[in-house]
Amino acid sequence: MRLLNLIVAAALVLAAAYVYKIKVAATVEAERVAKLRTQIHRERDAIAALRAETAKQENPGRIQYLADHYLALKSFDPQQVNTVDSIPLRTTDTIEPEVESFASSEPKAPAETATGSVRQPVRTR
Amino acid sequence: MSDTTAEANQPADDAQTSAPRVPLLRRITQTLLYNQNVDRVRKTKARIGLAILCFALIYTVIATRLVLFAVVPDSHAARRVGSSDALATARPDIVDRNGEILATDVKVPSLFAEPKRLIDVDEAVELLTAVIPDLDTSELRDRLGSKRGFAWLKREIKPKTQREVHRLGIPGVGFLNENKRVYPNGREISHLIGHVNIDNQGIAGIEKWLDNRGLADLHRAGFASDRQQEPIELAVDLRVQHAMRDELAAGAEKFKAKAAAGVVLDVRSGEIVAMVSYPDYDPNNPKEALDPNRINRLTTGVFEMGSTFKALTVAMALDAGKATLNSSFDARASLRYGKFAISDYHAQHRVLTVPEIFTYSSNIGAAKMALAVGVEGHKAFLRKIGQLDRMRTELPESAEPIVPKRWGELNTVTISFGHGLSVAPLQALMAFGALMNGGNLIPPTFLKRSEDEARAVAKRVLKPETSVAMRYLMRLNAEKGSGAKADVAGYYVGGKTGTAEKVVGGRYSKTKLLCDFIAVMPSDDPRYLVLIMLDEPQPLPETHGFATAGWNAAPTAAKVIARIAPMLGVKPRFDLPPADRLILATMKTGR
Repeated sequence: MRLLNLIVAAALVLAAAYVYKIKVAATVEAERVAKLRTQIHRERDAIAALRAETAKQENPGRIQYLADHYLALKSFDPQQVNTVDSIPLRTTDTIEPEVESFASSEPKAPAETATGSVRQPVRTR
Repeated sequence: MSDTTAEANQPADDAQTSAPRVPLLRRITQTLLYNQNVDRVRKTKARIGLAILCFALIYTVIATRLVLFAVVPDSHAARRVGSSDALATARPDIVDRNGEILATDVKVPSLFAEPKRLIDVDEAVELLTAVIPDLDTSELRDRLGSKRGFAWLKREIKPKTQREVHRLGIPGVGFLNENKRVYPNGREISHLIGHVNIDNQGIAGIEKWLDNRGLADLHRAGFASDRQQEPIELAVDLRVQHAMRDELAAGAEKFKAKAAAGVVLDVRSGEIVAMVSYPDYDPNNPKEALDPNRINRLTTGVFEMGSTFKALTVAMALDAGKATLNSSFDARASLRYGKFAISDYHAQHRVLTVPEIFTYSSNIGAAKMALAVGVEGHKAFLRKIGQLDRMRTELPESAEPIVPKRWGELNTVTISFGHGLSVAPLQALMAFGALMNGGNLIPPTFLKRSEDEARAVAKRVLKPETSVAMRYLMRLNAEKGSGAKADVAGYYVGGKTGTAEKVVGGRYSKTKLLCDFIAVMPSDDPRYLVLIMLDEPQPLPETHGFATAGWNAAPTAAKVIARIAPMLGVKPRFDLPPADRLILATMKTGR
């Protein structure tokens, strides 16, 4: 009987130690979670500050000023816009050798040939 | 006693099959307490068993609670706010229709003091004013000298200043992180987005609308203190807004106008894609907003719109069946009403057809068309298309139109060509939208909205044929009439000019004009309306001494359209037939 009592008492002590270990581990985890939360918070604030800074750099007025001063770009003419549908399709390749023979034998075509998709410049009289 | 025991003992044999509980319980208790025949050991064992059962129950309850605590996750409300953050008021981001940031929160430190805890006030004042020179010394001394528990010293200081003050090591002085509202694209969208006060409460524009919508209530209840809110999507396009503001500023400078304003409205969804009122202010610096010259002229100013109203008059006459595109009205002589005489600016002195009335902008013709509909019909039509009541949008600022109290024939005559009724320009544009999109009046909105949602709130005010006729007239005016300077090749632009004389000292002034131009693009299948308004433009040598809208508002509109049409996705088309073949043809086949 006494042996049984001893065993049970030892088991009780072990159980208590185990519960204490779990409790300490849980507290450590909780602290880690809280620390991570503040870190996330801080990262989010930094992201927001960076996004605001990016938006300020991308302000259209600023880009316009920089483009005017440092780039040689001009605003485009509506006549420069076209769709893919209006580009003529490439025909079969049997044409190409014939074209090459033309190009080698005949004089060059005049530079102002109008193709289907390019608008003729208006001639003022 | 014995016969009850015998009674109880009998059903004990079939206790597992059909014995009810009560006799069993009674049997146990009687066995434990009263029965003298039972062995003492058995009694003890039973008592110990009962004690074990009770403790087992208690421990089961404890174990279940432990498991529940571990399994159920922490709720959001239990999350602690960082102790160094002030509890105010995080606001959701505001973005434009393409996702560009218009307004956002940034964490900025603010300096506070706990005067109760200060040891030496003079030393603190000296050290602080050395680091932050623009603190008022006497005010600082008062604040630190009072025995309050908390006092702000300077709000929204720079991180460098924070470091320096921290290094001073004054006890009782600390920092709290506050949310500061920052507008990275501030100048472009000032009136539209509004601004906030130092406590991050919206006091103008969309920011105020956000508060009214429920953000203020959330803040008061203690929620919405962190960043996790969905951004608000506006209908405005930042690129279009900037292009319009740039061109309006250039136009106002070129024509020496007092002010300029412009709107781009999507006629199918009623979204306001751009809204500029120049001069404007920087919402990052809201003190500028108090200047009365910097008001939003589009919603809080009311103006007599001038000849652009003729479009509404013509639409009314066509819709009521009192005129068709082939009708003609006599514009040979000026109309006389007592001492008033109505005459035309480009007087033709002949009978004019309806398209000619529109392209020559004839006051007499418009007056006669309005009189044909009648005073009551005119009033009812204007009320139907929203010109007589205050127009409410998401912006909290709005203006009541100035309507004549007694409305007789003379009022109808003057209102038909845009004098006598003062409306907010955005209101007039809303009516134009109905004229162009097939006859549906859609209330304008600053929030992103799809066409289906717009159709749900739309009200039918005109027949579709009337809308087609108006598109034809607008394009005709850009081909042959006063809107010729607004025609941009490729976009089939249509438009109507309006030059209104401003009222100075009770009478109309010949020199102070309000010029506006309403353009529609493209005219055959309208998608966008552009309104340009110039307040008191001056004549220039290149405009041959004229200051009417065709010379200043129309070319400005052309510049704006040339810049914004590619951004809005309007494809340029060339070699289109003129208005009567392209637009009128659809009208005839539509029947």
